[in-house]
Amino acid sequence: MTLHLTEPRTDGTPAQSAESRKPVPRTSRRGSRPGGSSIDVQRKKLLIPFVGPAFVLYTVLFIVPALGAVWISLHKWAGSGPMKFVGLDNYGRIFRDQLFLSSFGNTLLLLFVVGTAIFVLAFALTLVLRDMAGKKIARNVIFFPHLINALVFGVLAGFIFNPGGMVNSLLAPLGVTDPPKWLAQDNIFPLIMVTLVCTTTGYFTTILMAGVDRIPPYYYEDCALAGASAFQRLRYVILPLTWDVFGTCAVLWTISSVKIFEIVWVFGGSSGAGVPPTQSWTAAVYTYVNAFSGQSTPAYGAATASAVLSLALISVLVVLLRRAMRRDAVEF
Amino acid sequence: MGKSARHLRPLAALLGAAFALSTTACGGATDASTAAEAVDISGSISGQTINYWSMWKDGEPQQKVLAAAIVDFEKETGATVSVQWQGRSNTEKLVPALNTNNVPDLVDGTFAKLAPVIGETGQASPLTSVYSYEVDGKAVGSLIPEKFTSNGVFKGEDGQPWMVPYSISSDGIWFDAAKHPELKAKPPATWDDFIEVLDKLKAGGAAPIAADGDIAGYNSTWFVTALLRLKGAGSFKALIEDKSGEGWDDPAVLEAARKVEALVKGGYLNSGYNASKFPSQQQLWANGDASLILNGSWTPTETGSYAAPGFEYSSFQFPAMGDKPASARVDFIGFAVPAKSKNQAPAQRLAAFMLASKYQNALGTEAKVLPVRPDAPVDPAVESVKAAIDAAPATHLQNDGVTFPGFMEKVFFPKDDELFLGKTSANEFIGKMKTAQIQYWKDNS
Repeated sequence: MTLHLTEPRTDGTPAQSAESRKPVPRTSRRGSRPGGSSIDVQRKKLLIPFVGPAFVLYTVLFIVPALGAVWISLHKWAGSGPMKFVGLDNYGRIFRDQLFLSSFGNTLLLLFVVGTAIFVLAFALTLVLRDMAGKKIARNVIFFPHLINALVFGVLAGFIFNPGGMVNSLLAPLGVTDPPKWLAQDNIFPLIMVTLVCTTTGYFTTILMAGVDRIPPYYYEDCALAGASAFQRLRYVILPLTWDVFGTCAVLWTISSVKIFEIVWVFGGSSGAGVPPTQSWTAAVYTYVNAFSGQSTPAYGAATASAVLSLALISVLVVLLRRAMRRDAVEF
Repeated sequence: MGKSARHLRPLAALLGAAFALSTTACGGATDASTAAEAVDISGSISGQTINYWSMWKDGEPQQKVLAAAIVDFEKETGATVSVQWQGRSNTEKLVPALNTNNVPDLVDGTFAKLAPVIGETGQASPLTSVYSYEVDGKAVGSLIPEKFTSNGVFKGEDGQPWMVPYSISSDGIWFDAAKHPELKAKPPATWDDFIEVLDKLKAGGAAPIAADGDIAGYNSTWFVTALLRLKGAGSFKALIEDKSGEGWDDPAVLEAARKVEALVKGGYLNSGYNASKFPSQQQLWANGDASLILNGSWTPTETGSYAAPGFEYSSFQFPAMGDKPASARVDFIGFAVPAKSKNQAPAQRLAAFMLASKYQNALGTEAKVLPVRPDAPVDPAVESVKAAIDAAPATHLQNDGVTFPGFMEKVFFPKDDELFLGKTSANEFIGKMKTAQIQYWKDNS
């Protein structure tokens, strides 16, 4: 997945598609001539010393363990001791496991529902913040929740939503004598989704704002002269000119949403003292419980199988997302 | 992408090199464990060094007792102990370490955590020599009550013990004896007596039982203990091991589920127990807003800092049902020695050393936990639990020692939670468990 992040702009020129449609002399740098220019030769010489160390580290620390995980997923293994080869059994079992399917469903809910909410809010905030007085302060304020460890929200959830907690104490004077059971097992996941929207929106707003700030003011002046509404300004100026930033944000969210774990772990399950209720499990939690729950013999085969499956399915999603979001970048 | 093929070639070479590098780095990691023999540990261990990964963190009461014991051990034997106070995650760190040749010489943890990781995977040394080693003039084996070991709980596949406990934990139904002297004077002996007590307490206006319903392990204690009362220690494990799932048709199993259902339907559980976050319910109990809580022997130390002034901890055992002798829950905390450790003798000697009365007494009076030796004194707050253990004819482990991969977390806990949180009836619970268990064994055998 990370490869997609490093793919664009390796040479500082605008996106390839725009470039290849109308080749300009500069593109010879990319080596269209068979032998390559002297610059090209120099670049090739530098490839190994510059890329090599990072590449070796990346391979040793990420790619090899990932392949190792695939290997483990074909076995029945308690983490140490003998390994028993079982082929694709672990995968078949996971697909039959209702719990894995619901956990993966939760991951998709985070990815799409929370993701949509975050970006709608982030764009709305972007529009408001651009013209607002004191926008720097406002920006810091909305970014702040992102700096706080998810553990804090998990612990705070208790203070706020416990039967005798803050929300119910505030509702009592209003005549609410039978408030909802906020922390009932079925309500924990929706609460987690709301918390994630609140904490992550600021982060993406900040990134989008950086993109919006690059837009030269004369476009807005044009809009004002043409009598464009705020929505039209978003539709015809801001969105097209920040599309690449938005695309990167979407990929970032996809990747991070798949790994969401700690907030689920601390929100339910008593801040880590137990396993959270299965209704709030994500694919990452499912993986963790299989390997490290500490209450039963570790099942590394099943755990890695679920991790490999999530990785595969998410890789497909990222590729599809990149494809759907592909536009010619507008130069300005 | 065709243009960049030339760039890919050197990258491919690098990839190959990186692979070679990483595979040699991990070479030999998956060596099968070798069946270890018991070693003679009686000789001099002066000058030898061991690495000990502790489940305690610096500053915890138990850590202080262990640290003091280690100082004495080093002075007495001339061996050196290099300790890492890792905390409870030491068993999780142990798993990857066991695949290398760089293992700790000594680890400690609860039986529930050590057994799946090191005991049942054949990665632990037999500690037979520790059990016969003499401490305070007596063999270690004779210092540990026979009922703790008679069911072979510590025995590995080779029939030899792989764990030496130095401390235990248990559970009970806790109450404030200052507020309820009548419970201390005459604890409810049978389930009917218990329900009578609950009705009386409920009539007084306060909810009788507090429960942190978000901890599945606490919730399951009700059903599991009820079943053990009806069918005896080991019956829950036998029920789960049954691949046909037919055990769930036993009327006694339904009876146990009905007991839990009765607590829920009877309104004996504090309102909000099904929608709160630990430790809010046990805080509420310690403040006196609920009279009873079923919880571990650690309750006095865990709630001590926020208990109402004058709170006097006492407990009674889960009430008896039928004519089966009631077993007491005993979970063990103790040492294991990885089979790959090269310093077996000093590691095993330290495991034996902790059984000396000096440190056992310190565990009881300073750390305020239950020492494994029955002759060691304990803090008044846990005296009621100790008395129950001493009197019990047999003991059982938490969840009756069920550790099948993922069974508790993925199969039992979710369904037991539904029963305890009032979402399913006893009958539905039995039906769901039977189906799920049959499926589990189809997938896991």
